[in-house]
Amino acid sequence: MASGASPSSSATRSDPHKDTTTSQAEKRAPGSKEVAAVIDSLKKKLAADRCISIKKRIDENKKNLRGVTQSFMRSCVERGGGSSYKDGSDLLVKMQRDSPGTKSGSDADKSNNHSSFLEDGNNVSSTSTAVQGSSVPVKISFRPIKMPDVKRLSPYTTWVFLDRNQRMTEDQSVVGRRRIYYDQTGGEALICSDSEEEAIDEEDEKRGFVEPEDFIIRMTLDQLGLSDSVLEELANFLSRNSSEIKARYEVLMKEKEVSESGDNQAASSLLNKDMDGALDSFDNLFCRRCLVFDCRLHGCSQDLIFPAEKPAPWTPPVDENLTCGANCYKTLLKSNRIPVNGTIEDKTGTSSNGAGTKTTSKFSGKLNRKKSKTFPSESASSNEKCTPETSDSENGVQQDTNPEKVSSSSKVKASGGRGGRKRNNNRVAERVSRRTQKRQKKSEASDTDSIATGSRSASDVKLKDNEDATSSSQKHVKSGSSKNSRKNDTPVEDSKNSVKSDDPVSQLNAVASEPCSDGSLRKDEFVGENVCPGGLSEDKSWKPLEKSLFQKGVEIFGMNSCMIARNLLCGLKSCWEVFQYMTCSENKASFFGCDALNPDGSSKFDINGNMTNNQVRRRSRFLRRRGKVRRLKYTWKSAAYHSIRKKSTDKKDQPCRQFNPCNCKTACGKECTCLLNGTCCEKYCGCPKSCKNRFRGCHCAKSQCRSRQCPCFAADRECDPDVCRNCWVIGGDGTLGVPSQRGDNYECRNMKLLLKQQQRVLLGISDVSGWGAFLKNSVSKHEYLGEYTGELISHKEADKRGKIYDRENSSFLFNLNDQFVLDAYRKGDKLKFANHSPEPNCYAKVIMVAGDHRVGIFAKERILAGEELFYDYRYEPDRAPAWARKPEASGSKKDENVTPSVGRPKKVA
Amino acid sequence: MSRITVGNESLVGSLTPSNKKSYKVTNRIQEGKKPLYAVVFNFLDSRFFNVFVTAGGNRITLYNCLEDGAISALQSYADEDKEESFYTVSWACGVKNNPFVAAGGVKGIIRVIDVNNEKIHKSLVGHGDSVNEIRTQPLKPQLVITASKDESVRLWNVETGICILIFAGAGGHRYEVLSVDFHPTEIFRFASCGMDTTIKIWSMKEFWTYVEKSYTWTDDPSKFPTKFVQFPVFTASVHTNYVDCNRWFGDFILSKSVDNEILLWEPQLKENSPGEGTSDVLQRYPVPMSDIWFIKFSYDFHLSSLAIGNQEGKIFVWDLKSCPPVLVTKLSHNQSKCVIRQTAMSVDGSTILAACEDGTIWRWDVITK
Repeated sequence: MASGASPSSSATRSDPHKDTTTSQAEKRAPGSKEVAAVIDSLKKKLAADRCISIKKRIDENKKNLRGVTQSFMRSCVERGGGSSYKDGSDLLVKMQRDSPGTKSGSDADKSNNHSSFLEDGNNVSSTSTAVQGSSVPVKISFRPIKMPDVKRLSPYTTWVFLDRNQRMTEDQSVVGRRRIYYDQTGGEALICSDSEEEAIDEEDEKRGFVEPEDFIIRMTLDQLGLSDSVLEELANFLSRNSSEIKARYEVLMKEKEVSESGDNQAASSLLNKDMDGALDSFDNLFCRRCLVFDCRLHGCSQDLIFPAEKPAPWTPPVDENLTCGANCYKTLLKSNRIPVNGTIEDKTGTSSNGAGTKTTSKFSGKLNRKKSKTFPSESASSNEKCTPETSDSENGVQQDTNPEKVSSSSKVKASGGRGGRKRNNNRVAERVSRRTQKRQKKSEASDTDSIATGSRSASDVKLKDNEDATSSSQKHVKSGSSKNSRKNDTPVEDSKNSVKSDDPVSQLNAVASEPCSDGSLRKDEFVGENVCPGGLSEDKSWKPLEKSLFQKGVEIFGMNSCMIARNLLCGLKSCWEVFQYMTCSENKASFFGCDALNPDGSSKFDINGNMTNNQVRRRSRFLRRRGKVRRLKYTWKSAAYHSIRKKSTDKKDQPCRQFNPCNCKTACGKECTCLLNGTCCEKYCGCPKSCKNRFRGCHCAKSQCRSRQCPCFAADRECDPDVCRNCWVIGGDGTLGVPSQRGDNYECRNMKLLLKQQQRVLLGISDVSGWGAFLKNSVSKHEYLGEYTGELISHKEADKRGKIYDRENSSFLFNLNDQFVLDAYRKGDKLKFANHSPEPNCYAKVIMVAGDHRVGIFAKERILAGEELFYDYRYEPDRAPAWARKPEASGSKKDENVTPSVGRPKKVA
Repeated sequence: MSRITVGNESLVGSLTPSNKKSYKVTNRIQEGKKPLYAVVFNFLDSRFFNVFVTAGGNRITLYNCLEDGAISALQSYADEDKEESFYTVSWACGVKNNPFVAAGGVKGIIRVIDVNNEKIHKSLVGHGDSVNEIRTQPLKPQLVITASKDESVRLWNVETGICILIFAGAGGHRYEVLSVDFHPTEIFRFASCGMDTTIKIWSMKEFWTYVEKSYTWTDDPSKFPTKFVQFPVFTASVHTNYVDCNRWFGDFILSKSVDNEILLWEPQLKENSPGEGTSDVLQRYPVPMSDIWFIKFSYDFHLSSLAIGNQEGKIFVWDLKSCPPVLVTKLSHNQSKCVIRQTAMSVDGSTILAACEDGTIWRWDVITK
């Protein structure tokens, strides 16, 4: 409510009161009579004020109106004079002039050009005279001019086109709303709502405080003081509860203070906001399933599912000579001629030795240099983040020799609960490590098995390797010793505890300002000289938001300062600044790593420890071994397939279950929501890919997923290129090429809904009833025609709406699953006009497409171009309207039949 | 139904007539047996201020109101289809200021009659169900808006027969639209109301180029790029039941629901955030015995008084200039017992016509003292 205006306006009103009432306020617990009197006087005052304000506004309006009507009058006169009045060519003018000024209707007849007075049926045939005030009304009749018949359109309601289903918005609901239905003929009123209270309840909730109420509350409490009896009396008067009023009064007082003290809350700068706040709206508005903001299908404020496995950051194709601008670090580095080469050479050797497959080593020295920077900093960033966590555990000393142990300890920390930040950190850390894995994957031979389990071993190797590289570069020890990736199996003793950061919140700063042990300090200085002199001071000028943006950048782009500066810190920091910051923090962090680690082991464990869940890791490690045997996946697939088919056959007659992604961190167990709900886990679930409840997709090739041989097809699902191994299509005009290793040239034919490969449907007048849907081009049997889209509404809502639709005898409801009904009445597509027929040429099928149930309409037989589409609505026999009942020979009469139907018919697939 | 909060009370008119003016029945016409749903004076052309048109059954009839209480019929049109039942009629103008009459009814086809040539100028097809009201833009009388049972409001150019805009969809009405009215000065703005109990204010400012394009369109009207406007600038819920008539009164809106009163209220729009706003009910004009839907009121050219019939055949004349509201007079006649669907006031307010469901037209003239 206009809070800004209320204090000032009411202040003027209340001035006379104030002086007298300050003394009253001291009086304790005034009697209810007194309170009533005060309220009453205030009320009267308000009413008078209101009266005056209304008068003023109406007067003002009146003034405006005078001008308006005058201008209208002018244009009317213009219209009258402007046209050809004089020559009498205007028929109406002539008629008007000729019509005599008598009261008799017979004279009126003369004025028109019709000689006969034939009637068109209903009217009385003779004309009569008008007698003023007589009991017999004048009957005027003469032959009317015929308006040629124009065929009316079949009735329809304006609807909104939807190319995909949409969840019902709140304002569309008819539940709890009074709906009055007037019969077309009788005018009988039918109120479609459960009870009156329901509607009223809703109104109640919406009531906020309006200005006059505020005024009364404030004035009364100012006058009489804050006491229970006064509050009660007020509550009575305003029909609210007293606690509400008390709260409101406090709010009002606060507002008053603020307005008196002036605006001391300066608008906070954008940069002072923090990342969590910004991400909050992202988390709430961005749909992780559709990858769009404000998704209409899944709605906002979805449960946040954080996958146990994270994708790798995007790495652009890098042209080393290309700089991102004047401030690009590459340019500046070159000009500074920083002597780092010696180190790099060493390191290059290391990394290439270690991984064996690393591509960087094959490139020029420059590239090597860049790469070498990238890797340490990666580990650095992850180290930075893990620092506060490890310090939380108060065991600072990372004496661990066993990877499992370390990771489990850090898990404890993670679960120790660091509030909102924890999530963020985890997210960052996970991605970092994941990214490293992915990169490794990429650099491996192209025929690498795409199964994650297969690549995991390699990535772990890589991870360690990176650490090796880091440590070696920083320590200037010969890194050859650390190249062996298997070394982590051997227990390594920790030389020094470097994790000292006490402050878990200020991650980077903490790291930067931390007092370091001698050894590490030395290194720090050394590296500082090398790469970023003055980096420490630079660090301070970074605002929290910039820091978190930087972290995000690392997640997204890796250690690519050009990309980070351009995309995330544009206008805030230059590439060079980002680079410096990156290098500094990385140095600081990396010697942590170095110290905590003996050449290779524990640094990696730090990263692992930072992962949200060590169980996932362990699990994947286990799988890694399995993954090597590639044929294993066939068994996996078929195992899942059987269980799925069982589900679908077991519950043939039951509606399908709505899928909601589970948030399992590990392979789903008994408590998994998907499992409990009876659905498969999908790619949107948090659980790792190895989850046994996951639908495994198919491995069809030649069959093109067109028959029940395909596990996806058999389970009434569309293939998903993210899940199925061999399902692919040629994109667009084929210029993107065909994935080579998938070969065979058999595209998947079970992705039509996903790819929106529908047929052109035309809307026209049906041969049987009302509107119908027609096909533009001929199609063969089992071809996908299009989707039946609509609003997703609850069954309760559908029951309500169905009552109204039954009255109109035109229903667009379609049972989708146990949770939702599709309603195409207001929103949908043209296929909603396809009529019912007991001998249809199409059929509808509920299909699971990327986690959502959708209705596809398919050809039951070969359909020629221009044919009307029919499908069997499959109403439940007892609920079907008369036209949809089986024995009826005439087939579908959707709109004409007026027999009221019992219950609520809904189409079923 | 709606709870009135303290300090936002509206001024309620008293039903005691002031009898500032009084009217008497001067004529009565039986047009036919079919109910008459609309009667409208011509307010567009000063030559035809005395001419009015009625709609009922499949008929559209033009009459001339003569000085001494007489009424003469000028023209009559009948739809060949007996099924047609016209619900509404409105005057319009061609580009040469030639008078048109636009009528619509149960079939949903809008008939545009060129009364100077006594023939159909256009038949506008497009509405998916019956048309409940047609109103003409007073500043550009080639434009008409139509309210339909198909939950949409359409803007037409009667000269070229083009459907320019459709106001419906996600933010549109949720049930039959019963009434529409153009804002008197802001040419882009109009209000619509209907069975979903809301009153919506729409703007077509962003689509004005299409309106201009409709004048020069020579191709097939069905090829015109008709646009959908899905969101109104404001939705008001001042009523809790069907709203069957709304009219602008300057920047205020007069609206009638089926709970026996007309409200005068001010829509307060927030300029920066479209779709939001508040409504402030200023005055209430009680109209007893009018709790059936499809009863429409009318005011005179100068907006000084308002006339509305009720289901007992009585007419209430309210003074629109006074604050608080003053009932000018209550018109009743012992033979007028039938539902008055619509009234029409002449330009100066001296004549009131009432169209009744039994097919009669009553003429009341002011008594000059």
